[in-house]
Amino acid sequence: MLAVEGLSKSFGGVAAMQNVTLDFAAGSLTAIIGPNGAGKTTFFNLISGAMRPDRGSVKLAGEDIGGLSPTQIVRRGIARAFQIANIFPSLTVEAILTATVQAHLGYSERITRRFPLPECRDRAFEVMTMLGLSDKAALLSSSLSHGDQKLLDIGLALVLEPRVLLLDEPTAGMGPEERWQMIAKVQELWERQKMTLVFIEHDMDIVFKIAQSIRVLCYGRVLAEGSPSEIRGNPEVIAAYLGTSQETRNQESRSQETRGL
Amino acid sequence: MMTRHSLAFDVLLGVAALAVLAIVPLVFPSKALVDFMIRFSAYALFATSLNFLVGYGGMVSFGHGMFFGLGAYSFALLMQRTGMPIPAAFALTLLLCAALGLVVGAICVRLKEIYFAFLTLAFQMLVHSLIILWVPLTGGDQGLRGGIPRPPFLGINLANQTHLYFTSCTLLIIGLILMHHLVQSPFGYTLRMIRDNAARANFLGVAVFRVRLIAFVMAGIFAGTGGVIMSLFVSGAYPEFAYWTISGEGIFIIMLGGLNAFLGPAVGTVILLVLNDVVTRHTEYYGLTLGIIILLFALGLRRGLLDVLIDLWHRHAAFARAGKKAGSVPKASL
Amino acid sequence: MDLATLATCLSSSACIVTQSTGGLIIGMLLFLVAAGLTLIFGVLKVVNFTHGSFYMLGAYFALTIYQLTGSYTLTILGAGAATAIVALVFERLFISRVYGQNVLMQLLVCYGFVLIFDDLVKIIWGVEFKSMGMPPAFQVPPLFIAGGLVPPFYLFVVGVALVIGLTLWLVIERTRLGKTVRAAAYNPSMVAALGINTGYLYGLVFALGGLLAGFAGALAAPVRSLTPGMGFSILIESFIVTVIGGMGSIVGAFVAALAIGLIRSFGSLGFPLFTDGLMYLFMALVLIARPTGLFGKEIA
Repeated sequence: MLAVEGLSKSFGGVAAMQNVTLDFAAGSLTAIIGPNGAGKTTFFNLISGAMRPDRGSVKLAGEDIGGLSPTQIVRRGIARAFQIANIFPSLTVEAILTATVQAHLGYSERITRRFPLPECRDRAFEVMTMLGLSDKAALLSSSLSHGDQKLLDIGLALVLEPRVLLLDEPTAGMGPEERWQMIAKVQELWERQKMTLVFIEHDMDIVFKIAQSIRVLCYGRVLAEGSPSEIRGNPEVIAAYLGTSQETRNQESRSQETRGL
Repeated sequence: MMTRHSLAFDVLLGVAALAVLAIVPLVFPSKALVDFMIRFSAYALFATSLNFLVGYGGMVSFGHGMFFGLGAYSFALLMQRTGMPIPAAFALTLLLCAALGLVVGAICVRLKEIYFAFLTLAFQMLVHSLIILWVPLTGGDQGLRGGIPRPPFLGINLANQTHLYFTSCTLLIIGLILMHHLVQSPFGYTLRMIRDNAARANFLGVAVFRVRLIAFVMAGIFAGTGGVIMSLFVSGAYPEFAYWTISGEGIFIIMLGGLNAFLGPAVGTVILLVLNDVVTRHTEYYGLTLGIIILLFALGLRRGLLDVLIDLWHRHAAFARAGKKAGSVPKASL
Repeated sequence: MDLATLATCLSSSACIVTQSTGGLIIGMLLFLVAAGLTLIFGVLKVVNFTHGSFYMLGAYFALTIYQLTGSYTLTILGAGAATAIVALVFERLFISRVYGQNVLMQLLVCYGFVLIFDDLVKIIWGVEFKSMGMPPAFQVPPLFIAGGLVPPFYLFVVGVALVIGLTLWLVIERTRLGKTVRAAAYNPSMVAALGINTGYLYGLVFALGGLLAGFAGALAAPVRSLTPGMGFSILIESFIVTVIGGMGSIVGAFVAALAIGLIRSFGSLGFPLFTDGLMYLFMALVLIARPTGLFGKEIA
């Protein structure tokens, strides 16, 4: 469904993405992992049209979408939820979702009828129920809890009926129990909508439990790809993750020495 | 909050308001009151249209007065120079305001915040400069002299102050109803989305530029209507109608009345007009008094009056509901 | 339009000199006011609509100090200091309460003070136009430069303004204080986390803005008539300068102020009724070409 080839992007001499080639089968559930600064969010930015790749191609169901504007890419079926919930603070949950459905169906500039249009509101309620937010419909989105805001963020992407859904750290900032609730919902949505879902995640337990396949990014390159068991045993991946914590341990012991401990 | 009211309800409300307004000069025969209401109609239309941009669209314009000025001058000039009937001149004036909105909007609307504010100001002052410059057409800084011919139409004679009063009120009510409808339409909510998060709205498939431009043009048309009323009131037009102070007063009014409530600007207009009249009558230190009152609003209330009142009302209602739920008598407010 | 007069002037070096110095003095005064404005916006993200009143207060303080002391040097320093104090109090007591709020609320607070200051000036100094008169040191015949007449006082103003501007630039770019100020503009929470009292910093920036505006007022006093409305026009012009130059950029303010000064000076020859219009046209053109001003940075 989604295929990138030779994708590269630099920012002023710093290569954020180097020659990345990956593909994601239709209907798959893939996790993208990697240490901080590996280029995971840049990857999402490049696919969703927020940034233009310097080199390489991005193909959606065989069609080249590199260089298209975000709106055009959205129309072709890629939707995205953000690491920090990117929502509309002064509107209620109901209003935001209805307005987004409205935009998706092409009614956003209607002036002959009143808001909400019944067909839009119904669809919005469907999505709200899917997310488990229907009892919070009349709440201002800014007064939602962090977790609910992220759910709403995902909801905005879902409304667009995407073929590919990109979730950027869906469980970021949540406590352990909330994380599992969130990821369970994500899995449920994936099963129901039968879409291609790609998510960035740092919590390894979740990744190994949920993902069908895993792609590991490091320093803007693909380090490894495969099933959870393959990745778990991959020495390079372990080194990439543990390497950083080993360095920290070395530094700590050195500074302890100089302090004469 | 989503309203359950419909256009029909608004129209009913409007008709009721007009009925009340029609009776008022009979019960309180006062020229001052009639004059006040005419000025109120002009400014309230202007301020509400500004809030359409600022409050609902998040587009702070410092140049909104250009439409007020253009409305006044075009209407006055059309009536003076051509033999047009009043409704035709009115329609043509609105068209001119829309055209100005289209041109200026297309250039300004893509700019960010403070730069948008100042570019709109620049355009307004350009309009003002043109008015001052084009003496043979506009009378320059003396203003447009010679009065406005008012051929009667549909039995209405705008030379008659009472007729002018009623026409102004009608224009105001119609304008408010239309603007309220726009604000509560799908378009209005798309506008709010853009106000809250234009980038995400763009991601979700909203044509941000086009929606902003349309809103800018719409606001200009309603502001122009205010200008027309003003020109009829003063029987001419003055460069002050296009000076930046008009835009400043507009901003001031919507802050006083409230950005969130639809009728906030109308309330603010009343406050400003009354304040102006009362303060000038009772003290020569207009600036000092007004300044202190403004500070009380900005530092004390921190929000517009109507917003504060509506907030208090909601809190009172929530309190009462909580009291009923607990099955006890509602406690006194904190 | 009077293009003939403009053309004649441009072909005469005497006229060019006269008009240029006239433009320079307008520009320099504008720069001093605009520099404070752009600094306040850059660091505090506040659009200080009261800045024109600071300029006005500087001029009136200068008038009184000069009448009391007879020393123009004391006048300039005193007016600057007094205005700086007013600015500091204004910031600490009032503006600090509206940080982070809707920009229109900040505008409202500033507008309230504009009205109050205007009336206070009326009460204390009276409504009539006042004039300070030229200090005796400058009551000398004008200099002849390239055939044009240049009042020595103009040269003095330009010189002082350049010195002040340069000092400002050096302080901001080269000193530790300046680095702190720039850091606070970039990342206020980080600066606070580093233990620097942002309250003092903000007050300092505002006081600096007031100082600059006060200097400008004192420098303008001998050649302008003082009236309670004089804050308004300089406010609009200095805002135009900051917008054209790019909000937050002192270099931008300098370039833009000079440009506006020269446009005004030569423009009043060729377009006597449209001089203001020229300024707005220039701003419109700049913003269309560069939406954040000449040296402006993208506001996040």
